[in-house]
Amino acid sequence: MKLKIKLLPYENLKKYEFNSLFKDLKDDTIILVDAKLKSEEEAQLIKETMKKVSEKFSGIELSSLELSSENNINLFGKLKKSFVEMLIGKKRGLTLIGPAKIIRKIRKNPEHLMLYT
Amino acid sequence: MNNLIIGKLAFFFRNLFKRKKDVRIGLYGPVNSGKTTLANKICMDWLGEEMGKVSVIPHETREIQMKEKVTIKKGKKSLSFNLVDTPGIATKIDFEDFVRSGLKKSEAKKRAKEATKGVIESIKWLDKMDLVMVVLDSTEDPLNQVNITILGNLDARNIPVLVVPNKTDMKTSRVSAIRNSFPKYDTVPVSAKHGHNMDELYSKLFDMIR
Repeated sequence: MKLKIKLLPYENLKKYEFNSLFKDLKDDTIILVDAKLKSEEEAQLIKETMKKVSEKFSGIELSSLELSSENNINLFGKLKKSFVEMLIGKKRGLTLIGPAKIIRKIRKNPEHLMLYT
Repeated sequence: MNNLIIGKLAFFFRNLFKRKKDVRIGLYGPVNSGKTTLANKICMDWLGEEMGKVSVIPHETREIQMKEKVTIKKGKKSLSFNLVDTPGIATKIDFEDFVRSGLKKSEAKKRAKEATKGVIESIKWLDKMDLVMVVLDSTEDPLNQVNITILGNLDARNIPVLVVPNKTDMKTSRVSAIRNSFPKYDTVPVSAKHGHNMDELYSKLFDMIR
């Protein structure tokens, strides 16, 4: 099977409200989003995934990475990070979403994501 | 310490206009982390009856289950709450996994469909909780997205969290990995199956709710 990877701007993901995302996922495409999804968006994505689960589509593997870990920055750093994210309208980082039938596991390290097919 | 104070404040304001009997403590976590085993242990300790069925086949709990008026005691103090056991949250549900666990194909498909609804219900019920025990399997890698999503959503809603690493009786249990992965949360490791460290868990619930 040929591996397909789609780089998706976060703004487009928001605009399409996940609809086009599932079309790609069911077409065996791995999606890489140029931002970390908010927790609420991740929960919404899981809910939408559950609505789409069928015999042919068993669900997704999902993992997000922040550019800087909140645990390692001081109060000023957190304020600066919040301010920058408010300006650009998204959380800095990336999100990897793939069909579960292709991605066996995503191992997360605070610094990187490792994808196993 | 700061998190405990913030958690207490959030709990106070959340319940300012509620009657005490309405306090809801939820059990959340990924599939097969031992939420129902822990719910059963708590209910057996204080009510003398279990909450639900436990199984090695994933997604045994597919509906929200609640035991009302669970009253735990510490010395002369008592604490009443409604205990809510939720279906495990997952990003994938493959009916073939249930077939491999020994279910017939028709049963497996039915279970998968019910399990998807259960995950949706679990997420919907997040808003109804006053405190959540996030039950994690301490033999598994804690940095999986389901754990991170659950904790992130509880943070976003300002719901106090107690992380409960379960299955500490297993040789491969690594509570330190959970503590290192989620250092900002209060953590009480237990073995729900064997009842290890339950007194500390009850004591922590008193600290967080009082």
